[in-house]
Amino acid sequence: MWLPVLGLVLGLLLGFMSDIRVPPEYSNYLSIAVLAALDTLFGGIRAHLQGSFEDKVFITGFFFNILLAAGLAYLGVHLGIDLYLAAIFAFGVRLFNNIAVIRRLLISKWTDSRKKA
Amino acid sequence: MKERQIMFATIALIIGGMLAIQFETTNNPIIRDTRDLWELRADLEKEKQRQQELNEELHRYSELLNKYQTEGKDEKIEAMEKALADLKKQAGLTTVSGQGIVMTVEPFKDELIGVDRPLPKIDPDMLRRLVNELNRYDAKEISIDGQRIVSKTPIREVNGDIYINNKPISDFPIQINVLAKNNEKLHQKIIASPAVEEFIREDFLVESSPAAKVILPAYDEDVKVKFMKPAKEET
Repeated sequence: MWLPVLGLVLGLLLGFMSDIRVPPEYSNYLSIAVLAALDTLFGGIRAHLQGSFEDKVFITGFFFNILLAAGLAYLGVHLGIDLYLAAIFAFGVRLFNNIAVIRRLLISKWTDSRKKA
Repeated sequence: MKERQIMFATIALIIGGMLAIQFETTNNPIIRDTRDLWELRADLEKEKQRQQELNEELHRYSELLNKYQTEGKDEKIEAMEKALADLKKQAGLTTVSGQGIVMTVEPFKDELIGVDRPLPKIDPDMLRRLVNELNRYDAKEISIDGQRIVSKTPIREVNGDIYINNKPISDFPIQINVLAKNNEKLHQKIIASPAVEEFIREDFLVESSPAAKVILPAYDEDVKVKFMKPAKEET
């Protein structure tokens, strides 16, 4: 449980300390990639709680989603269509769904454990 | 199970890094330097001048420090009193005199603006702009209608009257005394300045004349210091 949190904190620290900044024209891609990554992470947590977690699906989903989202945004820029909105919408909705499911699973676990006690 | 944890941790690490980079990017974006050669030269010149000023200041303070350290107690007090007097003079708490210019502001005569028109009104912004321009042309000290302009002087309009240092200014003509090292030059410059043109546009006659001796009164209100703390002495 604590290892992922540690990883997140470490990543944040590394990111802040390294002082890497993205040129403003690419910051859109990064923001979408972050969204995709978050979506995958919450999807993974949900699958873990539901017992249907698969390593390969998780890892490939993580990188594939990021690439797809960034690629969609890139295509959108060149076609003059705001395709990144599609990615934001899709990931946003899924993020909310996943978090809702995680919450329900946690609540039911908690009530179960209380009943047992 | 352990592997899964490590995997999650790795992904979380990547996400953390991305979040931090995104955060950095949005909060302090990379600003491109678009100055051309001349602008760079001008900036360099400015920085050099600043360096020189700072060096001079450093020199002055180190001399003062030397004086404090080497002299006896009485002399220390003397030096401190001198420093205090200097600071008071800088803050505008003493009466000062010297060469400068005397400006008067009054409305144009009726014949020029027409009899029916109401008396023109001074806007505090016009006075502020005039003060700014006087300062820009190397004025040392300024007083308007007997009110010394210090760094905290408010110039406001309250119910149609102009208040400087929270005191209403009297009727026209308003006298503005300015101290300057080179009073002729200041006189020439201020007469042709946009601030004075602004006064003329608003139907005021502004006159300026260099004077060998101008007396400026002291700032007579308390100087309230809100956002300063005594510096801790290093031992």
